[in-house]
Amino acid sequence: MEYLTVNTLSVESGTSTRPSSRWEDFASAGCGRSHPGKTWAFSGAGEGETGDSRRSLRTTGQMTGLRGPSHGRGGRPAATGWWAGVLASLMLPLLGTGCGQTAAASYRLNLVESAKQQLKPEQEQQVANILAALFGTPDEPFAPAECGLDEAKLKLAAGPVRSDIVGRKNGLYREHCAHCHGVTGDGMGPTAAFLNPYPRDYRPGVFKFKSTERADKPTHADLVMVLRNGLAGSSMPSFALLSDAKIESLAEYVKYLSMRGEVELALMRAFFELDDEDQGKLPEDRDFLIDEIVMPVAESWQAAEDALIDVPEMPADIDMAASIAKGKELFYGNKANCVKCHGVTGLGDGQVNDYDDWNKVVVQAYKTVEGSLEQAGETSTWNMDADEAAEHRAELAWLDRYQRVLDGNALPPRTIRPRNLREGVYRGGMRPLDLYYRIHAGINGAPMPAAKGTVPPEDIWHIVNYIRSLPYDFNGTLGVDRPMMARDRL
Amino acid sequence: MTRQRISVAKEFPTMQRICSGVIGFGSADTAWRRGRRLSVAGSIVVAFVASGCGTGMVAGPAPNYEVARALREKLSSATEGGDAKEESPQGTGWATLKGRFVFVGTPGAAKALVVDKDTQVCSKDGMKLYDRSLIVDESTKGLANVVLFLRNSSRVKNEVSTDPLVFDQKNCEFLTPVFAGRVGQPVDVKNSDPIGHNTNIAGASFNQLIPAGDSTIFTPGRETGLPVTVTCNIHPWMKAYAVFREDGYVAVTAADGSFTIPDLPAGEPLEFQVWHERSTGRSGAVSLERPELKWNAKGRFRIELKENEVKDLGVLEVSADAIRG
Repeated sequence: MEYLTVNTLSVESGTSTRPSSRWEDFASAGCGRSHPGKTWAFSGAGEGETGDSRRSLRTTGQMTGLRGPSHGRGGRPAATGWWAGVLASLMLPLLGTGCGQTAAASYRLNLVESAKQQLKPEQEQQVANILAALFGTPDEPFAPAECGLDEAKLKLAAGPVRSDIVGRKNGLYREHCAHCHGVTGDGMGPTAAFLNPYPRDYRPGVFKFKSTERADKPTHADLVMVLRNGLAGSSMPSFALLSDAKIESLAEYVKYLSMRGEVELALMRAFFELDDEDQGKLPEDRDFLIDEIVMPVAESWQAAEDALIDVPEMPADIDMAASIAKGKELFYGNKANCVKCHGVTGLGDGQVNDYDDWNKVVVQAYKTVEGSLEQAGETSTWNMDADEAAEHRAELAWLDRYQRVLDGNALPPRTIRPRNLREGVYRGGMRPLDLYYRIHAGINGAPMPAAKGTVPPEDIWHIVNYIRSLPYDFNGTLGVDRPMMARDRL
Repeated sequence: MTRQRISVAKEFPTMQRICSGVIGFGSADTAWRRGRRLSVAGSIVVAFVASGCGTGMVAGPAPNYEVARALREKLSSATEGGDAKEESPQGTGWATLKGRFVFVGTPGAAKALVVDKDTQVCSKDGMKLYDRSLIVDESTKGLANVVLFLRNSSRVKNEVSTDPLVFDQKNCEFLTPVFAGRVGQPVDVKNSDPIGHNTNIAGASFNQLIPAGDSTIFTPGRETGLPVTVTCNIHPWMKAYAVFREDGYVAVTAADGSFTIPDLPAGEPLEFQVWHERSTGRSGAVSLERPELKWNAKGRFRIELKENEVKDLGVLEVSADAIRG
């Protein structure tokens, strides 16, 4: 990725404060879905993502003189063929010298949800406009006061990578996060498709590793901890080398992207709730946009700080061997039922066909499209009147776009694997407390259910102790003989 | 673990499109193969087409920043609401709405579900579980599990009860395929099986382990729009729907297709939403030809009830082609 930085800088140096989007080109390209060897060396264009986005909210007037180079970005059909390639190759040297002004970074609309809600083009446009009003752009983030976000922290994280006048690094999100999580925070940066698990898509506002109850948001400290420690066993690295201020700023920016994404989902879903009199247009007043849409999201984040799980301490004089034995009983028993998903071996092979909530959205969408296409294929059109025929065509057009959106704007769905408990690697941290949180509240967004309420705290501690003994259970003394052999069954 | 063979065409549909775009002719498959053959020429072209090469991504509209800026100014300057909204007329008294949904046509035989876990309980004595997404009563033709709810209510007669409703599961099936509840009213989520289940209510971030013979209380905190799915991750065939309404004006049709919603606000316009799991309408919306009710494509109809009236909508016919599959 080195050359990217170079590229960014070279454009930067030519244009002072003019935001560069070489990086954004890459980040928004979705070329992550392509084969590495082939797309590696170029920044694929995010089709049509430029357009008006060249202008920024505040500087529209000053920018009108600037033109982006017409290097074939934006909606050019892929099948333009050879001559386009030759033409582009002639133009490439020009681009390389930095004479071109590239478009400012822009957010990507959640087209999967939009297709699901069957939004019309003008409705998508309205959502894009409202989001720009409420949350600004990747270069100039903004948030309604109700969100309670710290603007200074957002500024430090937002925008292209650059140093300000006192030499302080700006654009931290794009420096450290966007290549996986995407400029929009949709978990679809260019590297996303190569990673397993996929990077988190912040937009549904669901986070797995936290000290709060399942339905609650993570606290600020939870996000900071993930940034500082990384997530063991995933591609999320530790950012412990960054200063506290930088980590703070990134955590704030993640909250910002998440709130923005949740508001986007709420806006798109609100179209269905409209009355006929609204004529398919969302109201654009404070009552609706702030009170009904933004506030619930903002409040859920603010409530997180008071929603900590109350963890009774594990008795200091606990008989560890007895606790482990009890934990094992619970693990295999009908009460905690861990065995059903984590498997009799504890290798995480009990339930391998399930999806997490992020992937489930895509799986279900594909099902909808396939089912509807099948149905549409069986529909005979010969006796339809003009209205019915038009409706039928509209349905087919919608399905066609839905499918293209799923193929192009979503990662191929993957099943989720229950954790292999014999490796001693736990995403959300290896402290007994972390495991307690996971068992007590389950893992939001994942199939892992909460034991809270039906499994008393002392039993949760027994399970924690048993889980922690599993990686050292080499000779099968704790139950399963030669667990490593069980791998062959997978 | 055996490595899965990765088919480029299958795993990377986008790549396929890029390649067919670059080569510019032939089907995606042949383009890919041709691309391999012309690897030298191809890779040079790939390197240069860069900026013009579509990545298969569908583009959404870019925001109109003029409009956005104006809107931001409007939102930041406006003091607490305009209160310009006209209050809808309020009536007095209460009324009841009833009716009966019937299915016109022949429902296909219900599919048997694949039960591959805990078979000692879930397919005990050769018991089979069936898909329950379309339940039509043989004698009355009644269509069960149609959901109706009032979209907005200006007033509510009954306070939220604190008596828990029961949502049970037995023989690896949720006993209520479509469950209706009220925000704030506790739901006793039970497990009457000798094996453990978990109950996962979509959108509510409720996913709780329910040990054998045990139960736990779930109190819905907010309204669902249309019904949401309820699943068990341990037994993937288990599926139900749940709908929770703030005012409790919601009904699920019984086995004979009938429903009754009592204590509705009378003397004012009411709008109801109608839903069925298998309806071909958008997101399951059920639309019928009833012009006098202004029944629209979103599955909503309007009606105004008189005080103490018991309004019977009569037989509401759902035709076979309004039901999927």
